[in-house]
Amino acid sequence: MAALAGRVRATAILIVAAAAIVWGASLLPNYELRVLDSVLLYVLLAMGLNIVVGYCGLLDLGFIAFYAVGAYSYALLASPHTELHWPFGAVLVVAALLGLGAGVLLGIPVLRLRGDYLAIVTLGFGEIIRVVINNADALTNGPKGISRIYRATLFGWTIATPLDFFYLLLGVCAICFMIVWRLERSILGKAWAAVREDQDAARGVGVDTTFVKLCAFGLSAMIGSVAGVIFAAFQRFVSPESFVFQESLLVVLVVVVGGLGNLLGVIVGATVLIVLPELLREYAQYRMLIYGLMLVGIVLVRPRGLVPKRFDPAWLMVRLGWR
Amino acid sequence: MTLIFENVGKRFGALTAIDGVSMRFEPGLIYSIIGPNGAGKSTLINMAAGSYSLSSGRIALDGRTISGLPKHAIARAGLARTYQNIRLFDEMTTLENLEVALFAEEFRHIIGELFWPRRSRTLKAARRARCLDVLRRFDLDAFADVPARSLAYGHQKQLEIARALVARPRALLLDEPAAGLNHAETEILRARLEALKRADLVMIVVEHDMNLVMSLSDRIHVMHQGCLLFAGTPSEVQGNRAVQEAYLGTPGEHDVIQAAAEARTRRVRIRAHADIARHRSRPASR
Amino acid sequence: MTAFLLQQLVNALAIGAIYALIALGYTMVYGVLQLINFAHGEMFMLGAYAAFFILAWTIGPVSGGIGVIGVTLLFFATFAVIGVAGMATERVAYRPLRDASRLAPMLSALGVSILLQNAIQLLVGPQPIKFPDIIVRQQFEIAGAVISNKHGLIIAAALALMGALYWFVRRTRFGVHIRAVSESHQTARLLGIDVDRTVAIVFLIGPGLGAIAGVLWSSYYGIMQFSMGVSIGLKAFTAAILGGIGSIPGAMLGGLLLGLLETLGAGFLPFLTGGYLGSEYRDIFAFGVLVLVLLFRPAGLMGEPVTEESIVYKKDF
Repeated sequence: MAALAGRVRATAILIVAAAAIVWGASLLPNYELRVLDSVLLYVLLAMGLNIVVGYCGLLDLGFIAFYAVGAYSYALLASPHTELHWPFGAVLVVAALLGLGAGVLLGIPVLRLRGDYLAIVTLGFGEIIRVVINNADALTNGPKGISRIYRATLFGWTIATPLDFFYLLLGVCAICFMIVWRLERSILGKAWAAVREDQDAARGVGVDTTFVKLCAFGLSAMIGSVAGVIFAAFQRFVSPESFVFQESLLVVLVVVVGGLGNLLGVIVGATVLIVLPELLREYAQYRMLIYGLMLVGIVLVRPRGLVPKRFDPAWLMVRLGWR
Repeated sequence: MTLIFENVGKRFGALTAIDGVSMRFEPGLIYSIIGPNGAGKSTLINMAAGSYSLSSGRIALDGRTISGLPKHAIARAGLARTYQNIRLFDEMTTLENLEVALFAEEFRHIIGELFWPRRSRTLKAARRARCLDVLRRFDLDAFADVPARSLAYGHQKQLEIARALVARPRALLLDEPAAGLNHAETEILRARLEALKRADLVMIVVEHDMNLVMSLSDRIHVMHQGCLLFAGTPSEVQGNRAVQEAYLGTPGEHDVIQAAAEARTRRVRIRAHADIARHRSRPASR
Repeated sequence: MTAFLLQQLVNALAIGAIYALIALGYTMVYGVLQLINFAHGEMFMLGAYAAFFILAWTIGPVSGGIGVIGVTLLFFATFAVIGVAGMATERVAYRPLRDASRLAPMLSALGVSILLQNAIQLLVGPQPIKFPDIIVRQQFEIAGAVISNKHGLIIAAALALMGALYWFVRRTRFGVHIRAVSESHQTARLLGIDVDRTVAIVFLIGPGLGAIAGVLWSSYYGIMQFSMGVSIGLKAFTAAILGGIGSIPGAMLGGLLLGLLETLGAGFLPFLTGGYLGSEYRDIFAFGVLVLVLLFRPAGLMGEPVTEESIVYKKDF
């Protein structure tokens, strides 16, 4: 009985909090909303990358390539450039599948490599994707990018203003959060953790490590791709410049700073790393320098990230009263 | 359930670690493999488990050839092992260490586990119960939710065995399970291994602790310089002259140590010769 | 045709020599720490900048070259300065992580790389800077190919340095220490070798060599920029892998081989692909080689293949 009361309490708190966020957002001016949209985009990206880096322990430095896959999917399927106008929802599905495919395709040759080689090769692939996009003028319009991308509409709702996007991103993040959280706690999540700990011993107890790693790569790529679609719909303009290595690095930083393998940490990390540069706009030129410092600093001083592993969603729910 | 080594051989460059060994292990019995350092005992386990490829011969479990299969496939075929140097998943809890071994069986339910809350609860509860059951047999259930790295060494050794057992293997290969254990712990280990004997389980133990070996084993295989020197019951082994000369020696410690030392020196010499031979054909190395 | 080939060959040797010098840094660090020093490309870049400032602060504006002695002194000075920088990096950003997770040193190296690039960018400016003429360019024509003394400087310097390194590693006590530590930290320690100091020495030599490569490169192209370490670093890394990471002769061989492959390959790429792939794909060429090597022969040409034994007894990565 007490358990039920506890669960009702926790759920109630969450609903109230969600309502507060939804209502509070409607009061914010556009500039702040844009920042929040940015934060949520990186939360989404980082939740994806976290699967590979945080759960599995593999350093993927070219994650932005999947972001590009999603973004250019929407750009090519819903813009005057190709004169196609696919609905937003359909593109989401297509991009998710493309992302999954890309992740698996990249994973197959790359996953047997040692960790540091994996990092370099994924970094290279990220660059290759960018260079290919840059040079395949006929398809992608090269460095000029694709502009005037059509607005996104979902079930009749036209997503146009930063507030609209906030709600969209909030919903997508929430869904993604729940799925990834359940993944982490599932048998697959345990297999990922085992691969991170000791791949060989994992094999010794029957875990097909290649398959498990491919799952991680595929799922993370899928999430990255979905984020890319939303990004393209948000900016209504894509160019190779949005998908440089610095972006991959930023997502890695969000994961590392927030806390490797910690979903709550990802939210904290994204907030810190997106909001801070906005607050310190006059120091914009020092941004990359600070990122470098942060990376070294966190790894040396607080390698587990800002949010310790035990402060995960389960802990949060217990704190709210869930039994 | 029978595990068969058919004329198995293993070469590392110029060094022959295993030389044409044939052995047969039946379920329901505890076999020990003994021999001085470098005799090839751990190599046999590594080959059976898929860590080493075979230079020649074949290993089969239940009539099915497992040599040449990838490690995880061999594990899924029913061959479980422990390691000389403990290889647990340190940051995971004791229970989670066992759960990982259930991945192969449980993955097929992943969609249900992800999207159907009730099904997920049932699955997880069943999994937990199953693992706790195994932990209980090793008196580790109290530590179920504690990180594996915080367990005492003796408990960690036991946990490795528990992990190997949870997926109901057909063959259990233990690599020096008593290493580092004190007298009392070894006694507990002996009792537990005795209790594990089952009609459908092959048990093989590689060990140095002669008291444990003699009191535990139904059969002993004696390895020496990569060959099977002798196989038989404990009393047969103790009475065998060749074994005595090669390894056990007379009851005096001195002979045992000397024999072991000689074997080691021989191995080192063989390695050194192999190295020289290798370097001669490759002048530019670092 | 001979002239064209000879020209390409000389170019290949020169760029190959530079790759080799940088690759040596990667390979030596990997040998002792099993770490790929992502920040090594920045040592190359810092070498050029350091030489620039050393010249600016000692001699002032340079014209007409600084003579053989001047060049040698400059090399020594640059080697020393960046060698110290390398040692400092190791001490601050890598040593504390020696026993940490495998991910940590990689992330730290990445951070250092970004830090160094942006520090230079902020301090000196993002624009390319003209590098002084430390030797006055003189051209010779041999069999129709144009060879300059700058080619000669690069090749001569590289040969001298590689020879010196070979002597150091094979004939001196420190060289033995380095080789021992590359095999096993634990065993080396048991034999009384100061592992920390040996690693420090490696971080003196590796970055030092990379720095001289930077000076040579900038003196050849007459230019330097904060980002020059990135793509060259990747190529030199490819060279190290190609030759067999951890093997010093491998790095030398890999560097030369990659120089050849890249020069000849990029030269002929337009021919081979009917103009479809131009030489902007040159940069990806090296990466392509890297992926191929890693997929099909990760041990490289002279490396020792990962043995089964090492997988069983050490935790797999």
